[in-house]
Amino acid sequence: MKKTLFAGVGGLALSAGMATAGGHLMFNPGEGEFNWASFEDFAANNDYSGQQITVFGPWLGPDQEAVEKVLAYFAAATGADVRYTGSDSFEQQIMVDAEAGSAPNVAVFPQPGLAADLAARGFLTPLGEDTASWMAANYAAGQSWVDLGTYKDESGNSQFFGFAYKADVKSLVWYVPENFEDAGYEVPETMEELKALTDQMVADGETPWCIGLGSGGATGWPATDWVEDLLLRTQPPAVYDGWVTNEIPFTDPRIVAAIDEFGYFARNDDYVAGGAGAVASTDFRDSPKGLFSSPPQCYMHRQASFIPAFFPEGTEVGLDADFFYFPAYAEKDLGSPVLGAGTLWAITNDAPVAHGLIDFMQTPIAHELWMAQEGGGFLTPYTGANADVYVTDVRRALGEVLTNATTFRFDGSDLMPGGVGAGSFWTGMVDYAGGKPAADVAAEIQSSWDSLK
Amino acid sequence: MDNIAGTKSSLTWAVHISVALLVCLWLFPTVGLFVSSFRTADQISASGWWKSLFPSEQNLVLRTKAPGEQVQEGELFVIEGNLFADNDENTAATISVWGTSSRAIADYTAGDEADMGDDGRITVQPNGDYRLVNDVEFSGRRGERVFVTAETPPAFTLDNYQQVLLSGNSTDSMAKAFFNTLTVTIPATIIPIVVAAFAAYALAWMDFPGRALLIACVVGLLVVPLQLALIPLLRLHLGIGIGKGYLGVWLAHTGFGLPLAIYLLRNYMVGLPRDIIENAKVDGATDFQIFTKIILPLSFPALASFAIFQFLWTWNDLLVAKVFLIDATGETTVMTNQIVELLGTRGGNWEILATAAFVSIAVPLVVFFAMQRYLVRGLLAGSVK
Repeated sequence: MKKTLFAGVGGLALSAGMATAGGHLMFNPGEGEFNWASFEDFAANNDYSGQQITVFGPWLGPDQEAVEKVLAYFAAATGADVRYTGSDSFEQQIMVDAEAGSAPNVAVFPQPGLAADLAARGFLTPLGEDTASWMAANYAAGQSWVDLGTYKDESGNSQFFGFAYKADVKSLVWYVPENFEDAGYEVPETMEELKALTDQMVADGETPWCIGLGSGGATGWPATDWVEDLLLRTQPPAVYDGWVTNEIPFTDPRIVAAIDEFGYFARNDDYVAGGAGAVASTDFRDSPKGLFSSPPQCYMHRQASFIPAFFPEGTEVGLDADFFYFPAYAEKDLGSPVLGAGTLWAITNDAPVAHGLIDFMQTPIAHELWMAQEGGGFLTPYTGANADVYVTDVRRALGEVLTNATTFRFDGSDLMPGGVGAGSFWTGMVDYAGGKPAADVAAEIQSSWDSLK
Repeated sequence: MDNIAGTKSSLTWAVHISVALLVCLWLFPTVGLFVSSFRTADQISASGWWKSLFPSEQNLVLRTKAPGEQVQEGELFVIEGNLFADNDENTAATISVWGTSSRAIADYTAGDEADMGDDGRITVQPNGDYRLVNDVEFSGRRGERVFVTAETPPAFTLDNYQQVLLSGNSTDSMAKAFFNTLTVTIPATIIPIVVAAFAAYALAWMDFPGRALLIACVVGLLVVPLQLALIPLLRLHLGIGIGKGYLGVWLAHTGFGLPLAIYLLRNYMVGLPRDIIENAKVDGATDFQIFTKIILPLSFPALASFAIFQFLWTWNDLLVAKVFLIDATGETTVMTNQIVELLGTRGGNWEILATAAFVSIAVPLVVFFAMQRYLVRGLLAGSVK
């Protein structure tokens, strides 16, 4: 008697929970071009009703709203109580919580280096071989994503910890199509054409580039993306892989040459808005605004797929502003390398429901639900998701850059140890932009890396 | 000691100047923040706040209405409107020169007609009224771009305050965060004062072995940075079952506040006249009676000044709240944390930050002005005899 009563109460609570969760769903299951079958399958096979799962990540504002909407479907499917909290100081806070033992169930790492640190100290729970092989098979350039989430655990064995979900593309140049039209410029297809266009603009009395490295405590990071992109365009991917693990040192002539390639653009007063001296002091968030000023301060801006969030209010991407792929050299025959980044979801406080959430991310619907939202600039390398649901044509085109890449490499500074990738590499690039020779900068970064070994 | 009066009079001007400088130093950024809180994000990134107070000449990129709104007048297809109104810009601006290409933004003066070939002919008036005509039908999704140079009067907006205080989801969380902050702040101010008052009396007026050593320890604790204790203390809280929550944050604030509180109050209480206390003892008062009937009323300025300190510090605190209070469910967020979140994932929303700062300043200002007459008295009485 008592049992049936409890079951009845449980059922009531569940249906009540479903009803409230249902009220927050932005698309009704069954509508639109989504893979609803995958949602219903998942809902039928997973039940975590009454269990609470906490997710902690770096997203705030519109990004947070978007991820909460996706997680609402996980709640609707399983009956779990999902709580997402965001923080701008995620990196510090997750360390404090993990150390003290008050970690959330799932943490969303913006940098693999940090996840590797926590894994090595035994704070992460492995996701298992099945998940790794699923990712290798279903993501474009799958193995490189698996490698990104594989770290050494406490006892030194490599295990798969980080599930990549949500990616950024970095090899992009943003421009205003109507300004190109007014001046009669064409979108360049190769690096040779890009350099010729740059010179052409200077000859016409215009300034080609807006480059800004300022980012508070992280000042310098946009320049590391430049160097990584240019290294992929001047050397084979094997050199890049050797470089991020320091098998090839910073002082190698090939690396120094890539830094000087960045200098070709950034250290020429004629090429950069405000002159080369303004590069290090301009904030990266303000820098793209030069594209839209009157008269335009610059014509091109190389930055990742998130940057439209900092375009002036009312700018419609695709019409007022657009992007082209940061081209490769035609003569070097290195294919179309793409530089990107992604966030990694890892279990920091083991619970069955946390594994349930990772399983949910292996369904197409989990990707499509965010693809269909404006907030967060979501892109996915998952080839099983329906690209038709991307919220705009521009977003779909960005997604295709990701799924079509012949060579895909992760942001190298994120893969390097924190002291280099989020330290001496940043400050070194600020020094370089300020006029220090590339060889000196490279030697300094290398010595800081040596001291970490 | 005789020469003090003389020196004072000859140096008053220096004192006045340095006070004025200090006030300016403090006021300047505050005024800037205040002005910025009434400006839009684009205005903030385009010009400094000091420029916003005067009319300024701006270069703007404006769009005519889309071809969908054209009307046919005989042979001609016409699009008419006002550039400023169509683009939600300040309609009080006056156009001096304008152009139709990003490479020639000042080719025409207001009132001129520009010929754009296949795209038609356009006339722009100083007040932004325009008339775009063509012999063939306009096509495409978007209007023409017009580059204008315009004298714009100062423009301010209340949108930021509306977004922080009144808009949809941020209202609930802001109101919740406000009450959460009060829940943290009030006990975290009262508990250390009560504890410290008792301790300060004991250290000042009760004789027991090791008293001087104890005072030295308290003074020594003043210099220990609280960051050292964060993780061990959180571990302790989790270990004994307090976990992350209000109780934990009250205890943490109490612990971190006590050394200063005891030191401040003890110094003040030591300065009270010994005669009163000895008289009371002769009359048969116990230590507790002396404390409640004599010491506490006399120490009110010191208690008030420490209360202000502790209140401001806990109100503005982000670090201790993040470590000891805000758990992964996000139910117990405080104002400071809410403000940081308003900055956005990449920290670009300056206008919201400026506004939220002024919203959160309000309560501390009220507290400060209500109690400020005790502040200086309490501080000085403790240090100068």
